[in-house]
Amino acid sequence: MITLNDFMIVSVVLFCIGLFIIVSKKNAIQILIGIELMLNAAILNLVAFGKYDRANNGGQMFALFAIVLAAATTAVALAIILNVYRQYRTINPDKVNQLKD
Amino acid sequence: MNPTLPYTDAQTVTLAIIAVVLPFAAFLVNFLLLGKSKASGWVSTLAILASTVLAANVFFKVWNSPGIHTQQVWFTIGATKVQAGILLNNLSVLMLLLVSVIALPVHIYSTAYMKDDDGYSRYFRYLSLFCFSMLALVVVDNLILLYAFWELVGFSSYLLIGFWFTRESAIIANKKAFIINRIGDIGLLTAIIILYTQFNTFDIQQLFGDKGLIVNSIIANGEWTGALGSIPALWQYVAFGGVFLAVAAKSAQFPLHTWLPDAMEGPTSVSALIHAATMVAAGVFLLGRVYPMFNGTELTVLAVIGCFTAFMAATIALTQNDLKRILAYSTISQLGFMVMAMGVGAYSSSLFHLATHAFFKCLLFLVAGIVIHQVKHIKDDNNLDIDPQNILHMGGLRKKLPLTFIAAIIGALALVGLPLTSGYLSKDGILIQAFDWSDNKGGILKLIPYAALFTSWLTAFYVARLIVKVFFGEFRLQKMNPHIHIHMGDGGWQYKLPLVFLALCCLFPLFSLSPIFYEDAWLYKGFLQANFLARENMYHYIIPVLVNILSVVVIYFAYMIYVKRNTWSFPQTGMLFRISFNEWYIDSFYNRVIVRFVMWLSNALYWFDSKVVDGFVNLLEKIGIAIAGIAAWLDKHIVDGLLHLIADIVHGIGGFARRFQGGKIQYYLFSMLLVLITVFILKLIWT
Repeated sequence: MITLNDFMIVSVVLFCIGLFIIVSKKNAIQILIGIELMLNAAILNLVAFGKYDRANNGGQMFALFAIVLAAATTAVALAIILNVYRQYRTINPDKVNQLKD
Repeated sequence: MNPTLPYTDAQTVTLAIIAVVLPFAAFLVNFLLLGKSKASGWVSTLAILASTVLAANVFFKVWNSPGIHTQQVWFTIGATKVQAGILLNNLSVLMLLLVSVIALPVHIYSTAYMKDDDGYSRYFRYLSLFCFSMLALVVVDNLILLYAFWELVGFSSYLLIGFWFTRESAIIANKKAFIINRIGDIGLLTAIIILYTQFNTFDIQQLFGDKGLIVNSIIANGEWTGALGSIPALWQYVAFGGVFLAVAAKSAQFPLHTWLPDAMEGPTSVSALIHAATMVAAGVFLLGRVYPMFNGTELTVLAVIGCFTAFMAATIALTQNDLKRILAYSTISQLGFMVMAMGVGAYSSSLFHLATHAFFKCLLFLVAGIVIHQVKHIKDDNNLDIDPQNILHMGGLRKKLPLTFIAAIIGALALVGLPLTSGYLSKDGILIQAFDWSDNKGGILKLIPYAALFTSWLTAFYVARLIVKVFFGEFRLQKMNPHIHIHMGDGGWQYKLPLVFLALCCLFPLFSLSPIFYEDAWLYKGFLQANFLARENMYHYIIPVLVNILSVVVIYFAYMIYVKRNTWSFPQTGMLFRISFNEWYIDSFYNRVIVRFVMWLSNALYWFDSKVVDGFVNLLEKIGIAIAGIAAWLDKHIVDGLLHLIADIVHGIGGFARRFQGGKIQYYLFSMLLVLITVFILKLIWT
């Protein structure tokens, strides 16, 4: 029997992997992948908690909604990364630091 | 100038001042304008010539007149006005004339004598300064100026004695002269201060005039009472002691005479000037100026010291071999006569002897200068290793230097005091008055005139020895070195003229129309203290005869010994000979006792200074450095450290904070995460 705890553990593992990728990787694409992983961890939570919702399939609905939103943001992010690459000839976020004070 | 002075007197004073200042002007011209030019000799000579003419003019105006005294306020200290001025009386005009008349031939002589010297122009500078100091010394009217010029005379003689300053012996000699004169100067200063304390004035005329403060002051009941009050009589004796020290140092009297023989290191022409008119005369002149302040006891001290000096110097002169040294000791001896004459009350005889002595001693020194010059030429021409001043090398020079010989004979006869010379008049005056004086004295004081008489025979002997050794017999230098080349002569007119002039001045007509009786000398008429002039007792006949007959015998005796060598000669090993030859061991005594003591004292003081005083200062310095070190450490580590600490903290905070603004988004993210986690952990702990 797969319990809520198991979902939560998978979700935490996913989140942590995503967080680690975001913090440690030096490639914007990889960071984007990390973000997706974290997003997926949240979506997994939504689905897992949806079981306890009074409304039926509310969690799944939100999950779908979030996936669509994630796709949209990823598309925007990729576009930004592409422009950043054009501008700086690199996608290493450490090198792209002109927004700092 | 004092406006109340009659016109003629004012004119005389002006002339006197010009006469005094001219040599100084020559000094300035030589010093500032001429540099090393040979013209300096003639500038100085012309100045002294003009001074002589003016001095003669002043002399004839003032002599036997009441004298001229003019002064004006020099400076004021508190309520005391110090006057400066000119005092022309018989004494000062006599000295004024004497100094310039003696200085003139010396200047002329020097132009030839110093011709080849590198320091020719320096020499004349010093000489002019010397003459100026002495001329000024004799005319000033107050003790402060007198003291100033007294010092200046000492200083310029110091310069001249050490003229050849590359010679070690000259340096030692001028140092010695200067130091010994300094001892006398302290005495004079003490006396001046005491006189001022007692009488509140420096004015010579007020102090020592006929009705002056000194004459009216009395010593009674152990108090010295003057017009302004009384002080213990002891001070009067201290003042006398001071004056005596001053006189003894300048005029080379017994305890302080040792500088004069050493002063021979200067050029001979300078010796002539020092010995005749400028330096040593200052002491006797001072005695003459302050004469009224001496009481009976003090005069006796003067007489004893003078007599002893005369005797001692004469015995030393018997055995010396250095030509100039013999003359130096004879000067000391004659000065002793003068001081003794002051002591026995023969005031005018003393000054008379000063005047006559000036001429014949100057003459003898100029003669010595020529002789030494010639012998030195021989020495240089033939590369001999001899002392050109040693009379043992000379002899028989009368044929080679005929004029010099005649001059020397005249000078020598005057020094011995044989008739027809001026020395006869003045010396007999002193001797006769000494006998008169001792008549009413008792005990050992009776010996003084006899000692003086004996001294004058000694004088006859050493003078005869000197003349005979130098001018008679055969030229021993030639005898020892038969093939040396000899070329000698009296020299040019600059040598001859002064000799002739001075030789004429050594003869009697200058001073008295009568060659036999000193009482007729015009000089005696000029001084109030001219007593003993009446031919009241037998001394006036016996003594001249006695002196002269025995002198002639003594001279003949010396002639026999030194020329004929057919009688016994003196043993040169006896104790008397050694005492005389070593100058009574006075110098060695001074060297062994006083100089050693002073050296020891100065070493001790030096030690004290370098160890204790300097040590203390060094200790303070070290303490200061240590404190400064501590302060520096505190400043660097505490004060600066605090500031650095604050700066470091700020820097650290800044550095810490700026890391969050590094523009690295991942880092931002990471720190955000960290904060979140921290918040959660804290929340966990606190709940």
